[in-house]
Amino acid sequence: MSTPAPRQRFHEGTTIEDLKAYMTPFVVQLGYVFNDDTEFVDEVLSSELEILDQTGDVYCPCRVRTGDPKEDLKVVCPCIPFYADQFAKLRKCWCGLFVLHDVEDGSELHGVIDVPEGPADVPVARVESFPDGTVRTVRIGRREVALARVENDFYALGNVCRHAFGPLGQGFVEGHTVICPWHGWRYDVRDGTTDHPDADVKTYPVTVRDGYVIVTV
Amino acid sequence: MRVTLFALSTCPYCRMTKKFLDETGVEYELTEVDSLEGEEKESAVAEVKRLSGGTSFPVVVVNDEVIVGFNKKRIKELLLP
Repeated sequence: MSTPAPRQRFHEGTTIEDLKAYMTPFVVQLGYVFNDDTEFVDEVLSSELEILDQTGDVYCPCRVRTGDPKEDLKVVCPCIPFYADQFAKLRKCWCGLFVLHDVEDGSELHGVIDVPEGPADVPVARVESFPDGTVRTVRIGRREVALARVENDFYALGNVCRHAFGPLGQGFVEGHTVICPWHGWRYDVRDGTTDHPDADVKTYPVTVRDGYVIVTV
Repeated sequence: MRVTLFALSTCPYCRMTKKFLDETGVEYELTEVDSLEGEEKESAVAEVKRLSGGTSFPVVVVNDEVIVGFNKKRIKELLLP
């Protein structure tokens, strides 16, 4: 069985510093920073460079690739969106390479592996990168959530339209309504209700903290 | 007591777990999954999935208890009751 090579995005001779510079702007949007245990970070990233040499991309050094391209995409570093609910509770990614932005001592988290029961507060975007009057899809682990900003308040609802499974996160915002981009079904962002019977979508609590939009799932 | 460690050669917490097990002096069986190839690798991955429900490393098995991740405290409790 041969897996198609991933599209190259890192040039030959990529360094640890290159990886840091590439990943930082992305993880910052998701509420994460590199662990302040710099020796540990360098150890993880040098493993990733070895993996890059062997495979053509920076796969997670702590998870195994199965050869199924769709599954393997979920273990390309940084893999935060695909495990965002788990990681928010651990306060770090599985490897400990990234920690939540308000973690004070990243090395203290090295032994932490239990995911506590109960809801997760998941940062999904920076407030300033999210224009008012727009909606977008955010991935939180296995879920997709449509996140809307209306009159400077944020609302999160199930991403899948109950009519024909259209992606509400790619829809249109009109007042407090999200309009499905496929057939125009309308949902109230405040409570997920629609005019059609038995077709409401789920909503999730949203808060704003430290400049991050946080969805509780 | 039967102790098994499934690890990846690239994973820092796997290295920490190995070091810790070595320090305790316990005998353990080590399977470095990414150093295997072909069918051997496939069967090791299947074993890890069956035991842990996922493909995250390290996985330590002490008798019949499966510990996913570098959980020093739990390993210690099981090894040194």
